[in-house]
Amino acid sequence: MLVLSRKIGEIVTIGNSIEISVISYDRGVVRLGINAPRSVPVHRKEVYDRIIELNRQAAKTELEAMKSAISKSGYNFTKSLNSSESIQVVNFSTIKNSQ
Amino acid sequence: MNKAVDERRIVTLHFGEIKVGKDFIFNFPEGILGFEDLREFVLISEEETEPFKWLISIEQPDIGFPMLSPWLLDIEYNPGKIFSHEKNVFFAIVTLEDENHQMTANMKAPIILNSDSLEGRQIILSTDKYSTNFIIGSNK
Repeated sequence: MLVLSRKIGEIVTIGNSIEISVISYDRGVVRLGINAPRSVPVHRKEVYDRIIELNRQAAKTELEAMKSAISKSGYNFTKSLNSSESIQVVNFSTIKNSQ
Repeated sequence: MNKAVDERRIVTLHFGEIKVGKDFIFNFPEGILGFEDLREFVLISEEETEPFKWLISIEQPDIGFPMLSPWLLDIEYNPGKIFSHEKNVFFAIVTLEDENHQMTANMKAPIILNSDSLEGRQIILSTDKYSTNFIIGSNK
C-alpha cells in the first residue's frame, strides 16, 4: 500500500480525474473532500461491505420462507399498478399452467 | 426459425425448470455486488409472493433475489435525477433476517432494470436518506 503524508488543505490525485483533499482533522476524525467523475462511485467502505453481505443473504432466500414472512408481516401491500408493471416479467403461474 | 434458439432452459431452486425467452433476460455488465460473475438474470413473479418479484440468475439458477418496488414502501422515494429515466424500473432487494424472518428492504442500493436495453445494475445512492435495512411491516 502506498502511504502518503498530507497536511490540511493538501491534495492527492489519482489518475487524471480524481482528487482527494484533506479538509480537517479533529479528535481522530479526518474529513476528506473527493472530486471524482460521476461514473466513479465513491462510498464509505462499510456501506459497500454491508450491501454485499445483504445481497449474499438475500440470494439464498427460499420461496416458502418468503411466503411465510409475507403472511406474518401483516403489511398491506397495494397490488395496484406501479412502476414494475412496465417491465418484462416471467409470470410463474402462467408458465406453470402451460407446461 | 427454431424457437428453442431464443429460449433458455434453466432449473431454478424456487420454481423448478422454466423456459426463458431471450427478450426476458436482463444483462448485468457489472453483475450484482458480491456476485460480480453473474451477468444474466430473469425477473419472475409468482402469485403468492406478489407484489414481490424474484430476480433469478440464469447462470446459477439457485440464486434468486426477492425484490419489491421501493415506492410500495415509501411513496416519496427519490433515487435522484441521474438515475431517473422513463425506461428504468427500480427494485429494492429484500432480505429475511436470520432470527425472526423480519423482512427488510435495501433502499440505499436499488436494482435498476431498463426495459428498453434490457440492462440491469445495482447502484448505491450517495444520499444518507435511505437505509440498507428498511423494515417491512412488523413481524410479530
